[in-house]
Amino acid sequence: MFKLILEKELREIIGTTKFAITFGVCAILILLAFYVGARNYQVSRADYEASVQENLRQMEGLTDWNQIDHRIFLKPQPLASLVSGVSNDIGRTIEVEMRGELRDQGSRFNEDPIFAVFRFLDLEFVFTIVLSLFAILFGYDAINGEKERGTLRLSFANSIPRDQYILGKLVGSFLALVVPLLVPILIGCLLLPILGVPMGSGEWMRLGMIILAGILYFGVFLTLSVFVSAMTERSSSSFLMLLVVWIFAVLIVPRVSVLIAARTVDVPSIDRVDFEKSRYSRQLFSERMSAFRSWAQDNPIGDDHRAFGEKMNEFNKGQDDIYDEKMNLLTEQLNEQRENKSGVQQRLALSIARISPAASFSLAAADLASTSLGLRATYLEAAKAYQVQYSRFMKSKNAGDNRVVISHRMGADEEEPEPIAPAELPVFDYNAPATSETISAALPDLGLLVLFNIIFFFGAFVAFLRYDVR
Amino acid sequence: MIEEGHTPADAQVQTEPEAKAESKTEPMLVADNLTKRYEDGTLALNAVSFEVHPGCIYVMLGGNGAGKTTAINIFLNFIEPTEGETRVDGIVTHKEPLKAKAKLAYVSENVMLYPNFTAIQNLDFFAKLGGKKDYSRDDYRDVLLRVGLEEVAHSRRLRGYSKGMRQKCGIAIAILKDAPAILLDEPTSGLDPKSGREFTGLLDDLRSEGKAILMSTHDIFRAKDIADIVGIMDQGNLVMQKSRRELEGENLEQLYISYMAGYMEDAT
Amino acid sequence: MLGVLVEKELKSILQSPKFVATFAVSTLLILLSIFIGIQEYETAVAKYETATELVDQHFTEVTSFYQVENKVYRKPSVMQIFVSGVNNDVGSLSRISADRDVKLEQSAYSSDPLFAVFRFIDFTFIVQVVLSLFAILFTYDAINGERESGTLKLALSNAVPRGKYLFAKFIGSWLGLVIPLSIPVLIGLLLVVLFRVPITGTEWMKLGALFGVSLLYFTFFISLGLFVSSMTRRSSVSFLILLVFWINLVLIIPRGASMAAGQLVDVPSVADIEAQKDRYRTDQRQSLNKERSLRWRERFSGMQNLSRAERRAFYNQNRKEWEGEDNDYRTEMDVRVAEYNRQTNEALRNAKLSQERLAFTLSRFSPAAAYQLSAMNLGGTNTSIKTRYEDQMFAFRDNFNAYLSKSQREERAEIRRKAESKGGGRMMMFM
Repeated sequence: MFKLILEKELREIIGTTKFAITFGVCAILILLAFYVGARNYQVSRADYEASVQENLRQMEGLTDWNQIDHRIFLKPQPLASLVSGVSNDIGRTIEVEMRGELRDQGSRFNEDPIFAVFRFLDLEFVFTIVLSLFAILFGYDAINGEKERGTLRLSFANSIPRDQYILGKLVGSFLALVVPLLVPILIGCLLLPILGVPMGSGEWMRLGMIILAGILYFGVFLTLSVFVSAMTERSSSSFLMLLVVWIFAVLIVPRVSVLIAARTVDVPSIDRVDFEKSRYSRQLFSERMSAFRSWAQDNPIGDDHRAFGEKMNEFNKGQDDIYDEKMNLLTEQLNEQRENKSGVQQRLALSIARISPAASFSLAAADLASTSLGLRATYLEAAKAYQVQYSRFMKSKNAGDNRVVISHRMGADEEEPEPIAPAELPVFDYNAPATSETISAALPDLGLLVLFNIIFFFGAFVAFLRYDVR
Repeated sequence: MIEEGHTPADAQVQTEPEAKAESKTEPMLVADNLTKRYEDGTLALNAVSFEVHPGCIYVMLGGNGAGKTTAINIFLNFIEPTEGETRVDGIVTHKEPLKAKAKLAYVSENVMLYPNFTAIQNLDFFAKLGGKKDYSRDDYRDVLLRVGLEEVAHSRRLRGYSKGMRQKCGIAIAILKDAPAILLDEPTSGLDPKSGREFTGLLDDLRSEGKAILMSTHDIFRAKDIADIVGIMDQGNLVMQKSRRELEGENLEQLYISYMAGYMEDAT
Repeated sequence: MLGVLVEKELKSILQSPKFVATFAVSTLLILLSIFIGIQEYETAVAKYETATELVDQHFTEVTSFYQVENKVYRKPSVMQIFVSGVNNDVGSLSRISADRDVKLEQSAYSSDPLFAVFRFIDFTFIVQVVLSLFAILFTYDAINGERESGTLKLALSNAVPRGKYLFAKFIGSWLGLVIPLSIPVLIGLLLVVLFRVPITGTEWMKLGALFGVSLLYFTFFISLGLFVSSMTRRSSVSFLILLVFWINLVLIIPRGASMAAGQLVDVPSVADIEAQKDRYRTDQRQSLNKERSLRWRERFSGMQNLSRAERRAFYNQNRKEWEGEDNDYRTEMDVRVAEYNRQTNEALRNAKLSQERLAFTLSRFSPAAAYQLSAMNLGGTNTSIKTRYEDQMFAFRDNFNAYLSKSQREERAEIRRKAESKGGGRMMMFM
């Protein structure tokens, strides 16, 4: 009996023009999203490589490591073009100094605001907006539509248990809609390696999880639609209700949740933090000046300029270390304060947003594509680790001390300085967090999606058991 | 046998001698003191009792809101009775609905069926739902021809069907189920006169096959044509019940109107 | 006659549960968006004010011109309450200093990516996405729904010309939807006034224009709904067609267009531009150095036969002139490099502009894109916001840098004087 209803459901859905049209639209969009994503990846990859090369090229011909202007760049992630997340909003470029704070600059949307106007058409967008509508379109009259057509009466004039009927309906409509959708998705996946996106096993796994999350999300809207359909008498009213729910879940709740969190938790502005830092830096500088003055009084310049210079360098080095230590301490403190606050804000915003399955899906997908809010933090962390490496390297090249240069200059003229070899610079390579890590980050949201599915499934189930089939 | 229900005193219901003779067979469909009061207080059925034997057509006659459909709904367990019960072949419908429904076929008023399925596909689904798994395409064709649907229409989607054609499909579905009892809820609405006549013939056939048929209608002429027993219902009461023989020579139309009028007078 | 028809249309819209639901939702959304917009605007203003105050404070606290770090902030505009556009994507400040170009950085989204996750909700977004959907919801069965329910036949069995009937439908549904929707908009504007948001006369005019454009956009979807409804026989079909239209017009075409333009028009990347500028600068510097050493060789060649003391005297005599000459060449080169940079930047900007033009032209196949673009133009939050601010900042930077380097020179001279008077000040120089 279950099989029969399932089969009927499959046929009833797939045979319609409605299905043909909407499936066509969805298939085109999915393929487009994959194609455009792959192209986008190529472009940003080329861009990235050119930037790295250009940065090294600029150093050619320089004779002093102190003169270099070293920048590192965020390597585009293969999955970022399918789920852009915040990858276009955070800065991609970091100027590396031997000491001090690193800051990401030049977000894609800031560089090319034209793409910010309408944003990108990525897979995540197609799923959140289009597929959820697709699910509603096929689920809204699942029960009350049958009633309107009289088939529900007719079916229940036979000896079928209701639970089997609703089960057959839910499973049938799910299969009828999801299996066809998997076709363009799989074709799209095949497009990725063909179009030159390097997909490792980790990427495949994450992509698989993204698609799984998408299917779960689709399931949420489908079961919700059947649920609402089993709660209402007329299909026109269930459609209206579902449309309102859709508008709220997809467009309103996530955005409003962020704004509510912004109202509730106050995060100090970056300008304020910067100001504190620069004020402290100046204070340290004047302290240092007075320290130098007293040192200069104790150490008169004398006749041996070279010996004096060395002594002074030593003194300065000590001063540098003190400065670095104090400055780092304060910077870390201020940053931590801000990060803590913004962490609270984020958690609040995201927990409110998760009322909407659309938010859960977006967050899970972004986690899996490693374009979530954590992207910037991991990028900056990687950059900081690189900074240590970099500054060790620079010190090995006797660079980084402005005063040394000058004393060099004072005694120069003897030898022609040799050009530096930029290729010796340590290479920065941003690697996304491990697959297991991203998956475990996405698990709570996946769990939520499963929970939504279960709730609406049982909702539909129970509502139908009580449904007035007359 | 036709029992006298707790009908109002002036709405005399006479027993039918011929029906008594048939009472050797057990009744297939029984409504026993059937009462349905909705939550808002409206009394949809008031202690209605009747029986339908195999090979017998019982026609419930009445205006809109008389309670005909409510009675059928209780047979199908779409609603539960407030008091009394309905039985199909001795099975109490609201206690064992699935078992009871296995013995029921049903034709509803204005069924749309699945608009995107062809007639054959609709038949196939509902036949299987009714537990008949081994019909062939030819069987479907035969039954559709029997209800008067031309062969060209069989593989067309129901979306393009007229009301009458859909109704014929619905009747075909009931025939295919081959159940001992058939419930028909306003089956002739939407049928043209020719199809109506064909339908009457069809019911005759089913009766001679020994089916117990319960039909609700407000079409007096068709009722007179075909009914073995006519029960007139009004506002939830079975106000009159007469066999075909008793109706012979009587003007059913006048009876219908006078009973209803009398009842209404009484009610006021 | 027309009056009767319009009245019936109004009644049937206003009495439907559909209307109650959609009206409640859109009222809530419009008011919410304006309220949030005001709050965000106030926060932005507060942020802007503290930021500029901090810069001022910085100026009062620094003791040397060498410590000056100047930043210029983009001032929030009232219109961003209604049209946020790319306001949050474009950087909010630029550092002003001699050794770097003016460049807007630190966009609201990049400093707080949380807000970028789900993006912003503003009036334009609600009109563009939600109200257009509602317009469809009310018109998809305007004609064929009446056919299905048989009322079309009944109505046209009277002496009603079809044109008039359709016209009345249009007027009726337009009035029935626009008038109720104007209420929350007006309340929203009242909110703006109550919250004492400083709006100038021109801004009021722009808001009026924005409202007009929104009406036009809304009207488009009403007409589209009527059109499709009278082209099809069944309301379920017309709804499906309209929904597909809506998805394409509102969600797909605008995005597709900007991405297609991105593929079609090749804009050199920032790295390319930097490389180009750098190459030119290096070339110029090398040739300058070469010329300078040639010049010096020439200058020294005149002294070859002189004695040491004479040489010194000759050198001292000409030094000022020579150095001046060198400086002139150097300044000339700087000007050339700056000019070249300007040209390259402009070329980049032009390439971006032509890309943009193509993207916008393509996207204007969709009224939703046309609406958004015009709203952004009215709100001043379009893509040119960046170039507009950067141009202003360039002008400011030149003035400021001139001032700063003059002050720094004076300061250096001052320090030198002091140090010389104190004696042994050589070390102070390189601090």
